[in-house]
Order: sequence, then C-alpha cells, then structure tokens
Amino acid sequence: MIRLALTRVAWMVPILLGVSVVAFLLMRALPGDFVQASAGTTELAPEALDTIRRSLGLDRPVWEQYLDWLARVLAGDFGTSFVTQRPVLDELLPRLLVTAELTFFAGLMALLLGAGSGLAAARLRGRVDWLVRTVNGILLAVPNFVFATLVVLLAGLYFPEVGIFNYTPFFTDPLGNIGSMLLPALSLALAVSVTISENTRAAVLEVSSQDFVMVARAKGLLPRTVLRNYLVRNALTPVITVTGLQLASLLGGSILIETIFTIPGMGQHLFESVTTRNYPVIQAIVLVAATIVLLVNVLVDIAYARVDARVRYD
Amino acid sequence: MTDTRKPGRAAGRSLIALGLFMLLGMVVVTALGPWVAPFNPSATSPDSLAGPSAQHWLGTDSIGRDVLSRLIIGGRTTLLITFVAVAVALAGGVVLGLLSGYVGGLVDQLVMRALDVIFAFPVFLLAIAVVAALGPTVPNLILTIAVVYTPRLARVVRGPVLSVKRWDHVEAARSVGVGEFRIAVRHVLPLVVSPILVETSLVLAQTIFTVTALSFLGLGPPPPDPNWGGMLSEGRQFMELAPLTVIGPACAIVFATLTFIVLANGLRERLDVTGK
Repeated sequence: MIRLALTRVAWMVPILLGVSVVAFLLMRALPGDFVQASAGTTELAPEALDTIRRSLGLDRPVWEQYLDWLARVLAGDFGTSFVTQRPVLDELLPRLLVTAELTFFAGLMALLLGAGSGLAAARLRGRVDWLVRTVNGILLAVPNFVFATLVVLLAGLYFPEVGIFNYTPFFTDPLGNIGSMLLPALSLALAVSVTISENTRAAVLEVSSQDFVMVARAKGLLPRTVLRNYLVRNALTPVITVTGLQLASLLGGSILIETIFTIPGMGQHLFESVTTRNYPVIQAIVLVAATIVLLVNVLVDIAYARVDARVRYD
Repeated sequence: MTDTRKPGRAAGRSLIALGLFMLLGMVVVTALGPWVAPFNPSATSPDSLAGPSAQHWLGTDSIGRDVLSRLIIGGRTTLLITFVAVAVALAGGVVLGLLSGYVGGLVDQLVMRALDVIFAFPVFLLAIAVVAALGPTVPNLILTIAVVYTPRLARVVRGPVLSVKRWDHVEAARSVGVGEFRIAVRHVLPLVVSPILVETSLVLAQTIFTVTALSFLGLGPPPPDPNWGGMLSEGRQFMELAPLTVIGPACAIVFATLTFIVLANGLRERLDVTGK
C-alpha cells in the first residue's frame, strides 16, 4: 500500500516538471516582449527596457532563466502582479478558498443528483430509466455558462427583487454565503452530475448481476438491506473515482460561473488577469490548478486501490 | 463476434440519421449565410432592442442589428473554427497515437509522457492561458483547440492499435514483405476507425463548448464579425429588455452541441464501441 502510494507520488514529479515548463514557456510565447508587456501602456526608452531586461535576467540563456524561476516558484514566490504590484500568491490564496468552497458545493450537488438519479434509473428501470437518460442527454448539451446565463435572465425577468449577485463572504454571514453559492454551484454541478449519473447507473447494473447479490436475495435479506449493504456499497467505488476525476472540469467551469455570478474566486481572478494581460497571475493560476488536479487524481488512484482489493498496480 | 445483432444497432442507425440531418441543416444554413440572412449582420438601425416582428424574426440587439442574421453569420465563424480545429487535432491524434501504439518502446514512452503533461491541465484553463498568451485571432484559436484536444484523440487511437498490431494479418503482411509504414496505415489504422469516429464526435461537442466559452470571455474572434459565444456575452447587458438576444445564441450553442452528442451516441451503438 505504502509502496503504491510512493510510486504514484513519484510519478507526479516528472509530470509536474513538464507542467512547469509549459507554464514558463507560455510567458515566453507572448507576442512582443515580456518587459514591454509589464510596462503596460507606458512608453519606455530602449535603454530603459535593456536595463529592466538585465535586472530581470532576461539576457541569460532560457534554461538558466527557467531554473531560476522554478527555484523561486518552489519557494512560494510567483512574482508580483502587473496591476497591483503586490505578490501574486497573497492575492491568489483568499480567492483560491472561495473557488474551493464553490467547487465543494458543486461537487456535492453533482454527487447527490448524479448518484440519486443513476441509482433510481438502474433500480426502477422502465420509464424512470428512460426519463433519467433523456434528461441527462439534454443536460449534456447545455454548457454551464449558457445555463448560468439563462438562470440569471429568468431571475432578472421574474424575480427582480432577489439579488443573485450579492456574494457575501463566509465570515460575515455564513448562511447568506451559502445561499449566494447555491445557484452558481448548481450551474456548475449539472454537467458533472450527468457523468456521475451515467456511471452510477452502469455500476449498479453491473453489481446487480453479480452472484453475491443473488445469494443475498436468496437467503431472504430485506430488499432494503440488499440495496444498502450490497448494491450501493459496491457500486460506490467507481462513482467516487469518477467524481474525483471530474474536478478538472469543475475548476475549468468555475472561471465562467464566477465571472457570470461575480464571485471573487480564482476563476474571476483569471478572467480579470486575461483582460488586463496580467501574465504573472495567469501563469500562477495555471500552475496551481494543474497541481491541484494532479494531486487529486493521485489521491483518487490511491483511495481506489485502498478500497478495492482487486486493484494491483505493478 | 458472435452477438452482432444487438437491439442498440437499429436505435443507433436512427440516431445517426437524426444527427446527420441536424448537422446538414446547420452546415447548409450557415454556409449559405450571406444569401439566407435577411440583413447585413453589422448594419445598425435606430430600431434597437426591438422584440420579434415580421421584419426582424428574433428582434434586434442593443445597437439595432438583426439578431437572426447575426446568428446565421456568427455560426460560420464558430463552426469553421470548430471543424478546422478538430480536423487538425484528429490528424495530430492519429499520427501520434499510431506512432506511439505501433512503434512502441521508447517512442511510446516519450509520446505518452508528453501527452500526460497536457492532460494534467484542466482543458479550458489551458485553452484560456494559451489564447491569452498568443492573442485571440482565428488561427490562434484553431491552434489552441487542436493542441488541447490532440492528446485525447491520440489516446483513443493508441489503445486499440496496441492490440491490433499483434493480430495475424499484420504478421502475414510483414512476412510477405509489406513495409512497416504501409502496414500501420493500411492494415492497422482501418481496424481502429470505430472508436476514433465516436471520440471525434464527442470532441466536436466539447469544442463547441470551448470555442463559445472562450468567445464568451472575450477571447473569441475579434469584432465586428459576430460569433455565438460573443453574442451571448453581449446580449447579457440588456437581456431583461430583449431576452431573445440571449436566448437566440443559447439555443444555437445547445443545438450544435446536441447535434454532435446525438451523432456520438448513434455511432457508439451502431459500431458497438464500448467504454465511457
């Protein structure tokens, strides 16, 4: 078990290095020049640009600059924001917490909706199955930002007195905070719930046809007990795996949802940084998000092996 | 190969027909765009934020442009980027997947590890970062989307190639002196077409999302040419006064996505492709 965990974590290292190279090169691929970009609209004399370039070490070979940059990133220094001139990380951390909360609620909703509808479809079959699959098919075709825009439109048309843009920080008003998160989380959750629903349905159907379920029924256990202790418990493993792996699409979707509902999270920060060409922030967010997704994937992998005795990685 | 007559096959056929019908409708209307659209999509008029009328079926936007005409012309940009980008990603995916799966060994390791790096990024986040760095132009959007989706297609090609390359007919071809390149392209590739077709339709649906979402965030093709994501975003400003400026592009995006999902589901059942 420990060996498996260590192998998985060790496997992350080269991937993370690759990720950091991509993030570093993104900044180098800027049209024009990094120094020009950091100067914003101010016109600088060529000599001044040269001085800045030398002070930033931009006249050294690329690989030397990369190693230097990597060392600083590992020490937690992601540079300073072009816009506010404050350290990128200081501005990012509080926003990361907001996004974490939104993602958590969305994940929870997706799990409840998806597992519930998938279980119902697999157990009740017939019309319910048809209904769930049809609704899933339609939901899959509605991108989260389209759904969110329509929600905002409907709220504006029919419930103009409800303020859906009132994001309240958690520590000022916990209940108000959770209330303001509900619609954004639902918009984010729907597409993910479809994946979970389809996987739950398939997993329950597969477990139902196993011999041990038949034995449990044959020895006269209550249908409720069979459902809880045999079906759900065994079908849960793949479902949790899928939920974990959907984190990447939740993080990606949060950019759109936070922008639409004006939630001050990491996604909105990225959107603002893109419009103001605040490259150090874009770079930091790309790095942080990729690292989180990788970490969660490895954790899911390890958890899966821990729960399911049949899994062997060699 | 014993049970080829599954009930899914007939359903698959009608789904494919429906999907192709929707696709054809969309492509014909947008291709004939300039001749079908009732107005010039950029022509403004004093009649702004108007509701639906005999003249403007879907009303007008905040500076009096005809929403229906903008939807039709906007579809050209959105669909063009989608089709070209997925075609490039497909080409890249087939080359890398075939190379990786067929040659194997160190090449396989190198290609797969490189793709793992791209897989580590949330797709949409990577697309935003790349477009932001390169600048939002049509060629850059196509390049970005192709890069982001190539790994997915490469992985789908590689899997079945790994097993097909051990089949007897490959050995037979080799024993009569057929070149390795020819074997890979003529004797292995045709046998892995089914999963590629299914995955390509799914990627097309995903690409509609990515292209319109990027445009929604202001990273789409530059104005004044309309596109669906940009229209949805612009319409939000006055949507309580003219809901159709938002509902129009929303329906277009959903219709396009649905088209490719229907096609993917039909192909999956018809071709009996298992997996997610």
